[in-house]
Amino acid sequence: MTRFLAASDVMTVKEAWWMYLLGGLVTLFIIAGSLFFAYKAYKRAKELEMPKENLKKTIISSVSFSILPSIGIFIGVITMAGLLGVPLPWIRLSVLGALHYELMAVSVAAEGVTVSALTVENFVTIAFVMTIAIIWGAIFALFFFKKYQEKVIDKVKPNDKKSFANLIFQSVFIGMIAAYFGDAFAKMINYEVREVVDGAYTGVILDRTTFVPLIVFVSSFIFMAFFDYLVTKKNQKWLENFQLSLSMILGMAIAVFLGMGGIY
Amino acid sequence: MKDYRARMHFYGRIFTVLGIAVMFLVPFIIWAVTGVGPNVEQLLVGVVALSVLYLPGGIIEVLTYGPILGTSGTYLAFITGNLINLKIPCVMNARELVGTEINTEENEIVSTIAVAFSSITTVIIMTLGVIMLIPLRPILNSPVLAPAFNWVVSALFGALGYKYFKHHLKLVVAPLVVVIVLSILMPTFVYGNIVIVILIEALITILFARILWKKNLL
Repeated sequence: MTRFLAASDVMTVKEAWWMYLLGGLVTLFIIAGSLFFAYKAYKRAKELEMPKENLKKTIISSVSFSILPSIGIFIGVITMAGLLGVPLPWIRLSVLGALHYELMAVSVAAEGVTVSALTVENFVTIAFVMTIAIIWGAIFALFFFKKYQEKVIDKVKPNDKKSFANLIFQSVFIGMIAAYFGDAFAKMINYEVREVVDGAYTGVILDRTTFVPLIVFVSSFIFMAFFDYLVTKKNQKWLENFQLSLSMILGMAIAVFLGMGGIY
Repeated sequence: MKDYRARMHFYGRIFTVLGIAVMFLVPFIIWAVTGVGPNVEQLLVGVVALSVLYLPGGIIEVLTYGPILGTSGTYLAFITGNLINLKIPCVMNARELVGTEINTEENEIVSTIAVAFSSITTVIIMTLGVIMLIPLRPILNSPVLAPAFNWVVSALFGALGYKYFKHHLKLVVAPLVVVIVLSILMPTFVYGNIVIVILIEALITILFARILWKKNLL
């Protein structure tokens, strides 16, 4: 341990065994917490006599659905590993945060830093900034979520089909999907890419346009329609839990094919 | 329902405090082991600069997604993160499959289980990825696969969009028209401020739904 206490070399620190240990600890904490709440929900479901089939459906669809986006998140670890080593990005992307946020944290906590210029002080500062600046949602939930639920959410009577309240939540979902359609559509008109080298923004902004996200969006939509047809009209019930993941894979495969043809 | 919820708030708050403690443990341990503290000036500048964006962002997220995630789902999701690109769509998909209504106890259960298993899947994949990093790095970093993961969010919302659009065809018109016009006029704003765009789009859809509902068109 004493050897590491004196660790001033950032290369040693960012790949140190105790950093991996911390990553393992964070991972175990998340698994334990998730299992705890899942178990409580399961017990409650039993009390309410909810069909087991529904719980099974929820688990299978959630796991299968989460695999691809999680691989996407893991690629963020690789992106950042050049500058920060593997364990810190692993930890940060396992908890509250996201790749673009963490990259922004790097650029504001150690402006213009490069792999060769990174110091232990930079590394510690970056780790603190990443941890503090994203915490607000969790703190707000900690203090105010209960009140918000009592005062606002509970005013909505979900079982009243005729009430407008039920439509509010559907509208939020539709708004969200439309916003992501816009995200894909806008990139067809203009798309600025902030260049990342060795896990940090270089400050160079590349101006581009791309049709690919819109094509991916629309094709995933069409694949989903096709699978939905198979499930509802052709009675292929087994597809139900996987239709979303399959539609995504096929949509993403189209992006790969377009890329092979030189269209990015 | 009241009783179960009250307990979930209690456990959820404990989990949140523990979660924040675990997150903070990381930089403090780095500090303790290396003996090197953060640069206070850079720390303050960094935290303030980012918080200008992420403090209101965090509050808006709790207000918008809290009802969707339910009680324990909210506490879990606000520690495990990846809300808009993973947890929310995951819950939306699960409720659509099971057919539960928001703010019912059944929905609380479904969303909790969805968020929990989604979180577990993510950390397991991350851990496997770290363990197998050396063989995986060239594959995941390959230029051939890059477009696939570059546009994973578009694939996700495209696929998810179908069911929502199918069931609410009339509601879709207004937000789509608005977002297309916005994208043409200010493309960088649209993809650069997705949280705000979601909020604008949600409000427009609510307004439009209100008009249709009043005219008995829904």
